[in-house]
Amino acid sequence: MSPVRVGLEILELARSIGARTIFVVGTARDVGKTTTLRAVYEAACSAGTRTGLASVGRDAPQQTRARAKPRLWLRPQTVFATARALLPSSPAVEILQLSSLQSAAGALLYARVEACGFYDLAGPPTASGVREVVDELLACSEIAIVDGAVDRVAALAGSEGAIVVATGAATATTEDEAVAEIAALVTRLRIPAFEPQAQAVHVDGALTAADAAAFIAHGETRQIVVRDPTQVAMSGRSAQEAFAKLTIRCRRPLRVVAATVASIGLERNFEPVRFANAVARATKLPTFDVYRSAQAA
Amino acid sequence: MKPLQLLDESSAEILALGWLVKAVAPVSPYGERCFEELRAFRPGEEAAAQSRADLIAEVAQSFDAGVLDAIARALASAPDAAGAIARASLGEHLSDASFFELRAFCETVDRIDELSAGQSTLEKLSNEAVRALRDSLATGQQGQSAFYLANAFDTELAAARTRLARAQAELDALRGLERERAAHELGRDELGGDEFIVMRAELRGTLPEGIRIVREAPTYFLCTLDYGETGLAALERRDAAAAAVADAEECVRQTLSAFVQRNARGLLDVANAVGQRDIVVAAARFAQRYACHPASVSDEPVVAFEQARFLPLESELASVGRQFTPLDLELDDAAVLTGPNMGGKSVCLLTCGFVALCAAFGLPVPAARARIALFDQIGWLGLGREAHVGGLLSSFAQEVLILKEILLRNAGRLLILVDEFARTTTPHEGKALCVALLARLRERHACAILATHLEGLAAAAGVRHFAVRGLRGIPEPSPTNDVREVLAALAASMDYEVAEVSGEDSGRGDAIALAALLGIDGGFVESAYRALTQ
Repeated sequence: MSPVRVGLEILELARSIGARTIFVVGTARDVGKTTTLRAVYEAACSAGTRTGLASVGRDAPQQTRARAKPRLWLRPQTVFATARALLPSSPAVEILQLSSLQSAAGALLYARVEACGFYDLAGPPTASGVREVVDELLACSEIAIVDGAVDRVAALAGSEGAIVVATGAATATTEDEAVAEIAALVTRLRIPAFEPQAQAVHVDGALTAADAAAFIAHGETRQIVVRDPTQVAMSGRSAQEAFAKLTIRCRRPLRVVAATVASIGLERNFEPVRFANAVARATKLPTFDVYRSAQAA
Repeated sequence: MKPLQLLDESSAEILALGWLVKAVAPVSPYGERCFEELRAFRPGEEAAAQSRADLIAEVAQSFDAGVLDAIARALASAPDAAGAIARASLGEHLSDASFFELRAFCETVDRIDELSAGQSTLEKLSNEAVRALRDSLATGQQGQSAFYLANAFDTELAAARTRLARAQAELDALRGLERERAAHELGRDELGGDEFIVMRAELRGTLPEGIRIVREAPTYFLCTLDYGETGLAALERRDAAAAAVADAEECVRQTLSAFVQRNARGLLDVANAVGQRDIVVAAARFAQRYACHPASVSDEPVVAFEQARFLPLESELASVGRQFTPLDLELDDAAVLTGPNMGGKSVCLLTCGFVALCAAFGLPVPAARARIALFDQIGWLGLGREAHVGGLLSSFAQEVLILKEILLRNAGRLLILVDEFARTTTPHEGKALCVALLARLRERHACAILATHLEGLAAAAGVRHFAVRGLRGIPEPSPTNDVREVLAALAASMDYEVAEVSGEDSGRGDAIALAALLGIDGGFVESAYRALTQ
């Protein structure tokens, strides 16, 4: 399987649920998010799909060059969101619109690639800003791919968007920990929609570990309903307990369609086949190794 | 809008300057810059104030609200090109985003002129510089609003791009062949991304030539494919072609930037005119929305109006389905205003101040007719300032210090609105202080109105006496004691009009009636009435 093939598989998974937006989020930095985005982007280009790209998250200009996000090689007709300050002077792009939104690197604009070249993506730090950017990209593209952040996926809640979760050796010190981490994240992101007919307790704002502990102590059996999965402010053991003992549901569900793994980290490597298979088993998601260009069994 | 010396901070807050500023605020960055510099007119500038108010009123009258909204929308969506013009004027090479802004600026100017066509009230904004810039940037127009440094700008740019496309295609083809060969030698269909994994178990023999190991792990190699000799040469040709395109693009930018530089003066003039237009349109929309009319700006100290309204309160009342009772008043000296509690004495003072404030900024005023002077200072004294001072002083001491400040400033023409000054001292001394204050204000030829519950003050001071008409009858207390119902009943029974009176309105007992209405028990109320007649 080639990287383009991996990208096409992910595209197909997104299309199968009617998604026009694909949000790639990671369990940590350096887990192959951008590599995943690039694979999906190349696949979309090879299929002749007009594509829009953006990047969101907390990457600030103060990050060192070594840690800076890599520039992407973009092809003509690609529409992308970037910060005005990050736009290279050459090759010239078609400036489509200046946005009032701000990114960590300054004011945003939308541009269309005229000639192949390396470009930086950028995006706003807020969920509402991300929604606005996605809408703008979709106005002139068939599909929008966003290099995202877990805490910004609320922008996709209740929408037609698809989420791809990336994990890798950079996320934890052992394979087991990394697998447990992505399993917990996927469980959280895949909180089902609540049953309107069944009894429910609607939580206004975040569901914290303290809230969950109180519900468990009271033997709560009704659905605990949050606005969207990002409102579950728990991780690790607390989250595991809460999901095991409570019926946690949401009003605006998210749709996670695939996982990707990068077995290579800056400080450690995992055995690629075993790691990808373990992630696939733990998440029950189609799982792809973006460096090996293979799907887990 | 800068009140400068016209108002102190507390008076500005009481008279709702913030509300007014918001209501007439422009929508574009051009307007915002001009708006920041806008200052109140001072005595001696009556003609300018009048002319501005008349222009705004004429625009409000001659333009349909929909057209003004469309102009405002065009202004609101205009990116700020002033920075780009300024940078170009200093010789900087502008970016494509700046050219996008400049093109949008020209479009906004054209759009506003188009919307204003057929009206003689407003002059055309566009000038030769804007027309020339629009034409020079038209080559870069893509679709409706996008901008691109198109090939048509320069033949050398077009040629450089053709050469780059050819070099890129050659590189892609050669690189593709290299990747194909390496993949084949690895026994794969395709190689992978820039970095790819080769599992040790899947490797037959050694890695193919050109594949470099980036990192080794027990079960795999992380690899990359280096450029071969021909690939490297193609890469160098591509990079050289890309550099030539970059040079050609920069050359076009330089030419366009120089054009902006040559026309900078004319463009900045229009940018400033757009800002002024934004301010006039915002004020005209305000005048339309609140049915404002230009006051006759007088060079005599006077605040005279018919059917005037204090707009912030009018809006608040409208939001709960109630109406503001418009007020008439003619004030050309110091005067006393009396009336029952909740009868609108303070509102009358606020209306005076607000109308004078509008006139000071050259705005049409919220009144059917008005004759208003320009003032050096509009001051508020008394009730309402408590929250703005505080500290260890008593409320009386605070009032005295504020009064001292107003008198010491010695503003040439003063409008002073006094709400129950000295109410916290003995009525006897309070009255004496008010008489002295009115005498001093008359000496200063100030316009002043002093709201009070003190009896006989107007006569004692020898000034005109205005009074709120007050309750028409005593409304029945609400059986539910609901405050909103009480207020509605009170509003229905209160005549808020202000009229000049000759005698004193003693013995009306509206305060006792109000206490009854607010639910004080009958015995208490009866006792108060008995005491009143003794």
